[in-house]
Order: sequence, then structure tokens, then C-alpha cells
Amino acid sequence: MSIDERAIVEAVSGLGFAANEEGLIPAFGLYLTRHFSDYYNRISYAFLHDYIRQAPELGEDARELLQEAGRVCAFNTFGGIMTSVEWDAVVRPMIETREDWVRGMVAVVNALGWGRWSVHALQGGERLVVRIADSYEATGFLRDYPGSDEPRCFLATGGVAGLMNLVYQGDVTARPVFSEEYYVEVFRDARSFRAHETLCIARGDACCEIVAERGGD
Amino acid sequence: MSTALALQADLDRSILATGGRRVVFHCHHYNVFLQRTIEEGLKERAPALLTAAAMETARAVLNGLEASSPAGSPAAILARAAELLSANGFGRADAGGLGVRGGEVEIHSSHYAVGWVSKWGQRPSPCCFFAAGWFAGAVAVAGGLAPERVDARETACLAAGADRCSFSVEVR
Repeated sequence: MSIDERAIVEAVSGLGFAANEEGLIPAFGLYLTRHFSDYYNRISYAFLHDYIRQAPELGEDARELLQEAGRVCAFNTFGGIMTSVEWDAVVRPMIETREDWVRGMVAVVNALGWGRWSVHALQGGERLVVRIADSYEATGFLRDYPGSDEPRCFLATGGVAGLMNLVYQGDVTARPVFSEEYYVEVFRDARSFRAHETLCIARGDACCEIVAERGGD
Repeated sequence: MSTALALQADLDRSILATGGRRVVFHCHHYNVFLQRTIEEGLKERAPALLTAAAMETARAVLNGLEASSPAGSPAAILARAAELLSANGFGRADAGGLGVRGGEVEIHSSHYAVGWVSKWGQRPSPCCFFAAGWFAGAVAVAGGLAPERVDARETACLAAGADRCSFSVEVR
């Protein structure tokens, strides 16, 4: 395998991402934050539970909305990273196949503090299984709630689907413009990837597992 | 940035932390999209949730920092809160008008406001709930106050047409 994950994590971590004189962190064509997982978890799970309190069947709507936020995150953040000069300098020299774009981006994710992502299985263009240790969503959920019958990693679920859409449904290798129109084209097609969480620490599994597959099959 | 505020990194586990609380990188697209989802979904209940969650976060982080590296005074805790917010990319904060009895804060180029405007343009009402709650939590920690005694609100917002974001923190 050509992707050296450790080298990528150390290189991206070494970038530092310091705030400028305005107190902003511009990078990859975005404004980054070093945010607190406590905040994301509190507002996301309160949102979910508010919907469920209104009517249990609304829980699925809330989960879908939170996963959509993850897909938007992947589209913009992963897309920005994979078309950046930093990607060209650190990751692109290691890339030999299209699948390496997925493995390279997963390595970069491991510098973001989200917990450790690993590619468990990848069938190019068709299916991706990502396993996550120490997911900030699931571990945060377990700290505040007694546990769950349902998986709780909504950002990660949307993110894994988004990664596959960028690489195989769209073509991030061609450096597209990450516009609303391109998002619709890549994420709203009948064959666009969707993802679901098959294992989750929040419900007692040893790790979290996200499976992304094409729609319409 | 002071040493106490530096990220602690466990690269083998992909875990980052400040003050014993996990830190994660996210961009403005996710931050404002998630906030808009919650605002549209919860309507009038959203501002209280977003502000309270930020206050709770600030209390956890700043109390964690106090436990490991005491700032030394209430004023130093408030200065640390402003420094940490700025260092983490939320905009340059001026908390010189803030004390343990409340006061005023300004943020130039607040992340949520800049992010909102760059993605969707202006909005009719303030959007920096995280910053408001953050400084409410900072005052609670600095003053040793129960959280229900501290309120904060954004009185002017870059995303709503002001030239900077202004916050009022009140102690009951």
C-alpha cells in the first residue's frame, strides 16, 4: 500500500493551523475552528431528542438532517483538503490508484481529532467500510446518556458517504468547484452513495463502523 | 498562545484536547450548516439550547484548565477565555470590558458570522450563540457563580449588518 498514514498524520498535525491576526484559521479555502466536541454533541443530541419528544417517528428526520450536515462537511472540508496545495505536497505523491484518494483522506481525518478512522474494506467505486475507534460522537454520547439502541455517529456517517461521493460519484481528482450545483449533482443522484452505521460504541459495540454503498441497487 | 492552552495530542488515537476536553477540527460550512439545521428545526427554542451548550462547554474547558494550570485571578480567567476563543479560530475577542459582574465583549471577524455571511449572506438576527454562551460560561467560572445566574446575548452581529459582534453578559 502506498499511503503512509503515519507520515500524513504527522505532516498535517505539524501544519499547526494557527489563528491569524483576525482570530480566524483560513486553510484549504475554508475557515477552520478548533472546536469542542462537547458542544457538537450537546446540540446534536438535544436536537434529536427534541424531535423524538415531539413524535417518535420524527427521530428519523432528525438523524437524516444531522447526517446531511456530515455530508455537507465532507463535500466542503474533504473537498477543500483534497484540492489543496498541502494535499499536493504531502498526500498526492503517495497516490497510485483512485482508492488511494480514499485512504489518503482517511489518513488526514486522523489528524482532525475525530477518533481513529481506518479503512476496513474498500471495493473501489462500490462500497467502503470505515471503522472508528474513540469516535468523538459516540464517546461523547456515552458520557451524557446511559447508552442507546441506535447508532449515534451522524457526522461520521455523512462524512463517509461524502468521501465516496467525492471520489467515485463526482471526480475530486479533476479539482471541481465546490458549488451548490456540484453538490446537488454529486449527492442527489439516484446512484449517489448513502451510508449507515452498523456498529457503534454508543450501543455497546467495541468500535463504530460506517458502511457506504451506492444508492439504487 | 500560552502553554496551558496548547492542544494535547494523542496521534495514535487521533484525540486532541484542551483543558481535558476533546477538541475537533471543523470548518465554517459544517458549523453554520449544523446551526441552521437546529435553528430551523427547533425555531424559538434554538437560541437557548445553542447558548446553554456553549456555556456548559466553556465551564468544562475553563474549569479543566484551572484544575491543571490555574490562571491566578478572575481577570486572568476571563483573559484566558478570550485568548482561547481567538486561538481556536472564533475571531479576535476583546474582553477588556468584562468582569465577574458581567459586562461587554466584542469580537472582530467572529467565525460564525463570517462563515454565515460567506455561505448565505446576511441574516436578520445575530448568529453567534457559541460566543455568547462561551463568555457567559467564562464569567461563571471567573466569579465562581452558578450558571443560572449568568445570561449573555449578542447585541449586534456582523452577520446582521453590524461592523463587529457585540455581546452583553449580565449577572443576576
